Amino acid sequence: MDYQFFVSLLLIMASFGLYIGIALYNKARATSDFYVANRSVPPVFNGMAIGADWMSAASFIGMAGTVMIMGYDGLAYIMGWTGGYLLLTFLLAPQLRKFGRYTVPEFIGDRYQSNAARLIAAVATIIISFTYAIGQLSGSGVVIGRLLEVDAAIGTLIGVVLIAFYSALGGMKGITWTQVAQYLVLIIAYLIPVIFIALQLTGNPVPWVSYGEIVGELKALDAELAISEYVVPFTENTKWQFMALMFTLMAGTAGLPHVIVRFYTVSTMKAARWSGAWALLFIGLLYLSAPAYAAFSRFILMTEVAGSSINNLPAWTTAWVDTGQLSVADQNGDGILQWGELVISNDIVVMATPEIANLGIFVIGLMAAGAMAAALSTAGGLMISISAALSHDIYYRSINPNASDKKRLLVGRWSIIIATVVAGLVALNPPGAITQIVAWAFALASGSFFPALILGVWWKRSNGPGVIAGMLVGLSVTLGYIFAAKYGGFTILGIIDTGAGVFGAAAAIIANIVVSLLTKEPPQKIKEEVTDLRYPEQMTYKNGEVWIEEAD
Amino acid sequence: MKKVDKHVADRYFRIRTILTVIYLAIGFSVSFLVVFFAKELSHITINGFPFHYFMGAQGAVLTFIILLFINAIVSDKIDEKFGISHERNEQISSGKTLDH
Repeated sequence: MDYQFFVSLLLIMASFGLYIGIALYNKARATSDFYVANRSVPPVFNGMAIGADWMSAASFIGMAGTVMIMGYDGLAYIMGWTGGYLLLTFLLAPQLRKFGRYTVPEFIGDRYQSNAARLIAAVATIIISFTYAIGQLSGSGVVIGRLLEVDAAIGTLIGVVLIAFYSALGGMKGITWTQVAQYLVLIIAYLIPVIFIALQLTGNPVPWVSYGEIVGELKALDAELAISEYVVPFTENTKWQFMALMFTLMAGTAGLPHVIVRFYTVSTMKAARWSGAWALLFIGLLYLSAPAYAAFSRFILMTEVAGSSINNLPAWTTAWVDTGQLSVADQNGDGILQWGELVISNDIVVMATPEIANLGIFVIGLMAAGAMAAALSTAGGLMISISAALSHDIYYRSINPNASDKKRLLVGRWSIIIATVVAGLVALNPPGAITQIVAWAFALASGSFFPALILGVWWKRSNGPGVIAGMLVGLSVTLGYIFAAKYGGFTILGIIDTGAGVFGAAAAIIANIVVSLLTKEPPQKIKEEVTDLRYPEQMTYKNGEVWIEEAD
Repeated sequence: MKKVDKHVADRYFRIRTILTVIYLAIGFSVSFLVVFFAKELSHITINGFPFHYFMGAQGAVLTFIILLFINAIVSDKIDEKFGISHERNEQISSGKTLDH
């Protein structure tokens, strides 16, 4: 244990040192550095940064476990969270890049010519990002706390100080390059254990190819035990809930401000398309591996743990039983642990794999550094979104439009520091509602931002009153359905709270269209700016005609 | 600045739109359509997996990735055909962006 402690500490400290070094090197000197990294990030690196920004502590630690426990039904998360990048890259990112603003609320405000719409969007950004960030910070606290054997609160505070320091210093520019480093740390940490365990179980080091046979064996094991089979669809919820959840996750992904803003950091529409492609490739490496982790873990639990004598369980189980992540109780008192007597927490699947596969202390330490990288990179991206909404959308655009660049940088830096510290303090003792809100973040984003952005880019007739009505109706319907399904027992087609985004998005689109058509159409200038988004930068749409800037 | 013929400009938008619709239709089929018919498709086996599980865990994600790369490559080709140069786009983009 002591030796393990020092190795983990060393690896985590080394990774922290790397992030701080990168931030010092990439200090933000102007507001365009601070908000959009001077729009000069190459697409491959932006892809890595999007990957790290996107994949949270929950993706890293918990997703494989969700897939293991939910079986086929858990795959809605895999398809939903990757499919969102299709909507984003085809329908939103390049067009939003051409429009050329600093933040998502700013796009909504300028496209719809409405200060009220910008403020509603800014407040929604702050609420969604803030709750999501609390989840990250408390997650990082648990990781640091468990591995360094300190209190989770101290772990959270270490994370807070680190993020506040490097994001306030470097802004988006610093965060971008730390996210690139964090992506590399987290993906290496995620892949090494699954590759080794594939090698041990199947003799083939390529888990994505070799876990198919394990899935086949799981099917046979389940049949023997006469429990519902791992691969059988819709055991947890209805088919409609599966599809509603998948839609909600896709539309929510395409509407989350902290992801979209990463597409503002590249130079052109072309670079935005390539960023999306690279991002999904890098994200796919982890998402394709999570079901492999799930299958291998379930196989080991079914063959090596279940069925053994209760006094003779594998050595690695003890530590996890102690932390409460694994519960083994010989309920029928026959001295043998049955499969039905095992209770497994989501988080154990990935974190326990290095011990199960006997990979040694270095890999366990690396795993801790990887989980920290996933939490810190997402929290950093969220903090810059909150800070931009406060200091740009609210302070600069509404309160003090004459502020100098220097003043705005200062306000941006302080709003990051304050937001991080407040989020950290809440994360020390997170109210139970927080995990709920995080689970609903995607439903809220798909009921508010997604319709506003899609119609803003693709329907020039949509106007200010339309978008305000759309966002308010979308949020109300989403929240209304969430509460009706969760606490009122009201459901449609078996769709539960997590799939509420499908109703929110539909209601928001209808409200936006109806109100837009009933009110004055937007001025010619705005309609032309929207049509202009169809063409690459070199072409401009003006007075009903397209003009091209000649090459020089 | 040179005027672009209306039908040339329209053709650019039409071809980009048609391709996007095709990509989204493929993306929709490998995810939602397969889920809808999951039970019916579960008897087909692919690399040890039942087909519906394979599509959920691997097939759909791989298709999404491939679609995004095809889109990036084909869009570049189309831009080139319409005389759009990336370097020029970069120059214009950095000048025109509202950096306030």
